[in-house]
Amino acid sequence: MGRLKPLFEFWISLFVVGLCLGMFPSEADAATNGDVAVVVHPDVPADDLSLAEVRRLLLGDRQFWSYDLPVTLLIRAPIARERDVVLKIIYQMSEAQFRQYWIAKVFRAEVAVGPKIVYSNEMATGLVGSIPGSISFVDAAQVPNGLKVLKVDGHLPGEKEYPLR
Amino acid sequence: MKRCGKQVCVLLLILSLTICIQDIHSASAYIGDRTWPQVSEYPSLHIIGFGDFNYSDTDARGYKSGFKEGQFVLHFTSALSPKVNFYGEVSLTARADAGTAGKGLQTGESVPPAPGFNPEVERGFIRFDQSDYFKVSFGRFHTPINWWNTAFHHGLWLQTSIGRPEMVQFGGMFIPVHFVGGLVEGALPTHGLNVNYNVGVGNGRGSVVSRAGDAGDNNNDRAWLINLFTKPDHFFGLQVGGSLYRDRITLAPKEFDEWIAAGHIVWQKENPELIAEYANVNHHELGSSSSSNSPAYYIQAAYRLPWFEALWKPYYRFEYIRIPRTEVVFKGSDFDRTSSIVGLRYDITQFAAIKAEYRNQHRPDQPRVNGYSLQTSFTF
Repeated sequence: MGRLKPLFEFWISLFVVGLCLGMFPSEADAATNGDVAVVVHPDVPADDLSLAEVRRLLLGDRQFWSYDLPVTLLIRAPIARERDVVLKIIYQMSEAQFRQYWIAKVFRAEVAVGPKIVYSNEMATGLVGSIPGSISFVDAAQVPNGLKVLKVDGHLPGEKEYPLR
Repeated sequence: MKRCGKQVCVLLLILSLTICIQDIHSASAYIGDRTWPQVSEYPSLHIIGFGDFNYSDTDARGYKSGFKEGQFVLHFTSALSPKVNFYGEVSLTARADAGTAGKGLQTGESVPPAPGFNPEVERGFIRFDQSDYFKVSFGRFHTPINWWNTAFHHGLWLQTSIGRPEMVQFGGMFIPVHFVGGLVEGALPTHGLNVNYNVGVGNGRGSVVSRAGDAGDNNNDRAWLINLFTKPDHFFGLQVGGSLYRDRITLAPKEFDEWIAAGHIVWQKENPELIAEYANVNHHELGSSSSSNSPAYYIQAAYRLPWFEALWKPYYRFEYIRIPRTEVVFKGSDFDRTSSIVGLRYDITQFAAIKAEYRNQHRPDQPRVNGYSLQTSFTF
C-alpha cells in the first residue's frame, strides 16, 4: 500500500492541475455543451420566446420589443459555430442565401440596416450588455453574469428539449 | 361619396402626420435618456448598387441581336433618427436614341441631343417607424399590389430569372408600377399568421398611363390601394396575399374607373422556389356601359440543385396576359401574349450571377417567336 501512495498522489496532483488549467469540464459546462444561448440586454421585456418568435426577430420582421425599444441584432461573423447554428436552425439558409436575404431586405426598404457583425462571444456579450434592445447568440458556457438568457420554446440552454444546439 | 372619400384620405394623412410628430418627440426624449450609441451617426447614409449586362437574340422579324447594357442602379438608405429613415433608388438606363437631336413637340424648335443614359428616381420616400404595427411613409414607391414589383425592384441579381414578368415590366402599363403618395403599413403577429398590411393614397396613373403622376395628379380623384398578406409561422417561407387598387384615369376627353384585383402565393425557399401571381384589371368608361376585364398571371418554379456547391438553379416560368379588343386604356399596347421561359442561373460568387434563358412567345395573330438571352447581374 505504501508503494502505491506516490502513484495515488501523482494522479491526484495531475487531476488538480488539470482542473486549474481547465482540462476538465465543469458541471455547468457539461450541461450546456454545444448549446447556443439567446442573450438580450436586461431591459428587454421578454423572458421566453417561441422559436418562431426568435425567427421573426432574426429575419428582421419584428423590429421593436416595444414601441420605444428597437431591436438591435448582433450576429457572429462567418465560421463561428454560433453563426452556423443560427443559420441552420433559425434562418434555414446557407451563407450565400443569408447574405442575399439581407441585401434584399435592405433594398426592399423593410429595414434600414442589417445585423451588426460581432467577432467573438466576448464582443457579443459586451455589446448586448451596453446596447438597449440588443440580442445575440453566444456559446451558453460563455454567458457572463448580468445578461438575460431567454428561454426558447420554454427551455433554457442545457435542457434536453432546448432547440438551439 | 366622392367628397367623403377625399375627406377620409385627408383625415388619414393628418392623423398619420400627427402621430409621427408626437413620436418623433418621444423618440428624441428616448435618445436623450438612454444615450443611444448610434445617435452621433445620424444621418447615416449607406449605398448599395446593382448592375447587369445582357445579350439577346430572337427569330422575330426585324429584331437585331446584340449586347445591351442593363440598368445601373443605386439604392440609398439613410437613417435620420432611430425611427425615421429615407430610402431612395436611382437608375440609369441606356437610351436607344442617344446622341440624336430632335424637334420640340410644341414649338418645332431643335432640342439638344438625347443623353446616353436616362436617369430616373425609381423610389424616394421618407418613412417613420412608430412600431412594427404602424409605419407611415410619403414619396414615390413601387406599387405594393404585386409581389414581384416590391420584392426585387430594379435589382436583377436578386431575382432568379433574367427579366421581370410582363405584367410588371418596367415601362409597361398593365399594372401601375409606381405610386406617388402616402403609405401606411405594418405587421400583426395574430397567432402566428403574421398578417401584414399596406394602405395607400396617391396620384395614380398620369396622362401617360405607364407613368405615375410625379409632378402632380391629372385629376382630382386620388388612387387608393389595400394590400394584405400573411407569412404564417408554421409554414416558414410561405407568403399568401391579395390586394385591391382603385383609380380614376383621365385620358382627355374620356375618363375611366380602374379596379385592379390581385393575388399571390409564394414559397420563398430555393428548394423549391414557387411564385404565382394573378391580376385582373377592370376599366369602365364613365358615361358609358363599356367595361373590360384584362386578366394576367404567371407561375414560376425554380430549384437550387444541391450538387456542385449549390451554385446552379434551373427555372421555368409560364406567363399569360389577355387584353380584350374592347379595352380602350391599353389600346396600342403589345403585351397580350402567352410565353414560356426556361433558364439556368449560375452564381459565380455570392454577389454575381450568370443566367441563360430560352423564351417561346405567342401573341395573337402573329407567328410564334423563339429567343434566347444571356445576362450577368451583380450587386456591389
